[in-house]
Amino acid sequence: MGCARDIVEHCGIPRFVFTDFPLGNPTGRPFDPECQRHIVSMGLDLLERATAPRTTVQSPYVWSPDTAWKDKVLTKAQPFLDDEAKEKWLDRKAAYKELRSTGRA
Amino acid sequence: MSAGPVASSRPAIPFAPEDDVPIRYMERTRAYYQALGFAPYRWAHFTDAPFTPLAVPLARARVALITTAAPFQPEAGDQGPRAPYNAGAKFYQVYSAPVDGKLDLRISHVGYDRANTVPEDLDAYFPLTRMQEVVASGRIGGLTPRFHGAPTNRSHRVTMETDAPELLRRCREDRADAVVLVPS
Repeated sequence: MGCARDIVEHCGIPRFVFTDFPLGNPTGRPFDPECQRHIVSMGLDLLERATAPRTTVQSPYVWSPDTAWKDKVLTKAQPFLDDEAKEKWLDRKAAYKELRSTGRA
Repeated sequence: MSAGPVASSRPAIPFAPEDDVPIRYMERTRAYYQALGFAPYRWAHFTDAPFTPLAVPLARARVALITTAAPFQPEAGDQGPRAPYNAGAKFYQVYSAPVDGKLDLRISHVGYDRANTVPEDLDAYFPLTRMQEVVASGRIGGLTPRFHGAPTNRSHRVTMETDAPELLRRCREDRADAVVLVPS
């Protein structure tokens, strides 16, 4: 069960329940047990009935009435890390590279 | 005078908006890393995928759960629902914990969508309550006594040669008939 359709299908797995929600909600909308039950149930249906690998089903749920939320993901407007975190990350990467190049890591 | 091809009429059932498609995470991540000057990440990719039909009726099957969520570690910094990405809260070895124990699983160590969601409900990313309901209803035979945690490291080698075989070993030890993987 997951939300990143392209990554999961690029890998290739036996059975997949895809839900078009923001990453972090692979098994349903928070505090919506009905939605979660349905998605889990779709997974069990697949366990019972799928006949071939790479069987994907998509749950019927939409996160919000429009797709504006998708524009905020991994874009300039909303990067994976904020500027400060990115700086730190880049510093650590540089330090690690240095260690590697001198054979210390 | 026509300026080019036009749709002859509006479809009887209106189409969804053109951009209403699953996010292309690989493309966006690639662009993001490239902008930072890194070599493109290679995602796991197989043209062949395994498939084993369920060997027992679902109502008798023992199901194991595998998660990428991490047990809360008091010393590992902010792991709250609004915590920024916290690599310090990662774990590097497969772990297992009883499904009937007290659970405190967090996902501050992974890149979930912090712009659009707040992980305050465990069952949105680790459906233990929902699975327990399914057991109670008789639809599946039961859960294995333990669930398992899969480390989210960026080494394909470690994932494939160390973590995956260890997860498989534990699922077999628990006599699981099926496994549900839930990446958070």
